[in-house]
Amino acid sequence: MPLLWYLRDEISFTGTKFGCGMALCGACTVHLNGDPVRSCQMPVGDVGDRQITTIEAMSSDRIGKAVQDAWIAEQVPQCGYCQSGQIMSATALLRVKAAPSDEDIDAALSGNICRCATYRRIRTAVHKAAQELR
Amino acid sequence: MTSENPAPRKRFRPLRWAGYAAIVAAAGFGILLGDAMITPTGPDPVSPIGGAPADLPASMSRGEYLTRAADCAACHTRQGGLPYAGGRPFELPIGTIFSTNITSDPQNGIGRWTDDAFVKAVREGIGSKGHLYPAMPYTSYSRMSRADVLEIKKYLLSLQPVPQAAPENTLGFPFNQRWGMFFWNTAFFRERRQPQVEGHNATWHRGAYLADALGHCSECHTPRNLAFARKSGSAFAGSVTEGWKAYNITADKTDGIGAWTDDQIASYLRTGHAPGRSSAAGPMAEVVENSTQYLTPSDIKALVGYLRSVPARKGGEPGGTVETNPLGARNSNAVLPGKDPQQTSSRGARLFAGDCAGCHQYNGAGRQSNYANLTGSRAVNDPSGAALVQVLLHGTKLNVGGVEQSMPAFGATYSDTQIAEVANYVLTHFGSKTGSVTAGDVKKQRK
Repeated sequence: MPLLWYLRDEISFTGTKFGCGMALCGACTVHLNGDPVRSCQMPVGDVGDRQITTIEAMSSDRIGKAVQDAWIAEQVPQCGYCQSGQIMSATALLRVKAAPSDEDIDAALSGNICRCATYRRIRTAVHKAAQELR
Repeated sequence: MTSENPAPRKRFRPLRWAGYAAIVAAAGFGILLGDAMITPTGPDPVSPIGGAPADLPASMSRGEYLTRAADCAACHTRQGGLPYAGGRPFELPIGTIFSTNITSDPQNGIGRWTDDAFVKAVREGIGSKGHLYPAMPYTSYSRMSRADVLEIKKYLLSLQPVPQAAPENTLGFPFNQRWGMFFWNTAFFRERRQPQVEGHNATWHRGAYLADALGHCSECHTPRNLAFARKSGSAFAGSVTEGWKAYNITADKTDGIGAWTDDQIASYLRTGHAPGRSSAAGPMAEVVENSTQYLTPSDIKALVGYLRSVPARKGGEPGGTVETNPLGARNSNAVLPGKDPQQTSSRGARLFAGDCAGCHQYNGAGRQSNYANLTGSRAVNDPSGAALVQVLLHGTKLNVGGVEQSMPAFGATYSDTQIAEVANYVLTHFGSKTGSVTAGDVKKQRK
């Protein structure tokens, strides 16, 4: 069973979304020991004793909270479907790089697709969150 | 000034020379034929070299185990078709051959075959319509014992019959004349059981039986000559099969698998992934899925031991020296690539960021699945990028222990140029190689 199935259907953590089911869109991104993973392609049995963090925990995470606040300030979401995945990837990026460049953002977040094309606002919000955290 | 006439040259007599050539050819053929007739086949291998292993699980019959070890399913099952019903095409330069139905169906399968007829087809390459083409590896299966061949027959007959005829081969003249294979066999085939080799123990012989008789590894991993026969002096030096690379698997440290640990080889055969090395893709993924994942621990050990003993050979399809700790991946982490302005701004890098990093990560560690690990893989260390392009275009999948691992195909969404760009980025980043893949190369591999 994919981790995403377990999260959504078994324990009702529905903040993580199902997009493509093939690890190509990023909507289902969660953290595995802090690194972003696509939960739709991650067998739940492979998790072992590693820690899974989902969008539900971001409001109590220092970086996650800053990202969410920046997301609201910049009014990033349109339809919002991909945004929990975007926020998970952005949080993981800010954890490894406090002041990312545009290129860093592109490299780390290109795997998260947004059909409303909120990419510019995402960039602005990541920079804003980085500033707030400094 | 006068010019002297040149001395009169002997007249060239084409008929006479053709006559000489015919005599020499006939004499050569006579020698080969004589050799074929006097070469002893040797005794049938018996347990523990032949047969099923002692640690065969109770859930599996001997026949099923041997059928899996001989990987009959790989060729006798068409993509999306029913197991063993045949119809898989083999595209050769001379036309297309289709595998036959080997289910118990009396009309289309082997339901009415006698034991002798089945053994003759498997070990001698002579079937109901006459000579088989060596796409059927009777050249390897001739090493099997009659008992093992009949165990396989018993298992096949225990399965559901599939009333489905195999498509007709589309070979042109003269290749559609099956009797012509008599000459090929005389030149290149000696019916011979698994030989006993001095100085090796039973475990080694079992490994040899698994690799050379049942698993018929050399049918893909040994290069072939112009007449489609395996080059005996280049055993396991690698070849190309259906557009995929069947790499050099000799003990050579750089060109072969000499630098792999025993555990890596065992893991590759058992699961299709060797930690820190390659993941099986394409036809080898099918081999793991249909065959080697079912081998018992004792057989995996024997097979690894035997492969280790294969003399190191250079060349063949070496695929480039494998860099197990490439600079690009080493300087990266799971989320971001290392500083390399030229690389990160390239179009290949952008494609990688969008579609590949989600699973493979910039450090190549593999995100959701170990199978997505790229560092140490032969495909990303081969500057020609042949196997890499194949995976990018067509994708690959592998089902081991009921869990499917897959790499999606990008052939439909990427242009030839885009495939080449992302391939060259991957070769540099994960293999420290200068990729030489062009859009033209990709185009050739598309079909």
